[in-house]
Amino acid sequence: MGNMKIKAKLKGDVIGVKVMAKHDMLTYDQAKKKGKEANFITHITAKVGDRVVYDVSTSQFWSKNPQWKFKFKGASKGDMVAITWTDLSGKSVTESKKIK
Amino acid sequence: MKRRKFLGLGVMAVAAMPAALSALSSIDFRATKPDTWTAHKVDEAIKALYGEIKAEESGVKVKAPKVASNGGAIPVTVKSDITAKSVAVFQDANPEATVCVFACDKDSIIDYMFKIKMKASGTITAIVEGEDGKFYKGSMTLEVAKGGCEG
Repeated sequence: MGNMKIKAKLKGDVIGVKVMAKHDMLTYDQAKKKGKEANFITHITAKVGDRVVYDVSTSQFWSKNPQWKFKFKGASKGDMVAITWTDLSGKSVTESKKIK
Repeated sequence: MKRRKFLGLGVMAVAAMPAALSALSSIDFRATKPDTWTAHKVDEAIKALYGEIKAEESGVKVKAPKVASNGGAIPVTVKSDITAKSVAVFQDANPEATVCVFACDKDSIIDYMFKIKMKASGTITAIVEGEDGKFYKGSMTLEVAKGGCEG
């Protein structure tokens, strides 16, 4: 299994997407206690083809293994939604899922 | 026969839709507004992100449990029907104030759910930057039984 669990479902003309990513989301305080470097997801983008449908800049205050949901219009069943996150260390993960 | 024609048109309309909808421009608010992310107070963070603004207290809904048993993962939903350029979420319990900033456009559906961490009880504030140049605000105060920033 990959890093993310993605569910994308078409209802009417709106696509609802549910994502769960694996990430420690270490805040500066937590990192200090553990003697590690703070690291958390800083940016998340969702795309259908070349079109960006969801874009958010995030901070350390999203939960550990963050979950999020969003909705968008303008895609059909069978299209692929690609979710990309980037963290503070520069690591980036992209995973895609077919819209059901 | 007529019905078939109608259905055919429907399929065409759906197929044509993605082209009609605009593409969001991806904005990295951490790079464009770096001061927002280090601000300790909600007011300062808003000022760093949007400048001196007066936000109307309407049209924005923030939903979260009244009492969160686990401060490590509090589900928050931000909803609004306003046509927005961006949506920013802040809270006043953690060392820094800013939680996240969404980039939006006229086709965005503002119905975002995400899970956040809060150290103690506090207020979550969401600011919507409308396409009309106005700002709208919604907030929700909640109790946190067990802080989530220590783990």
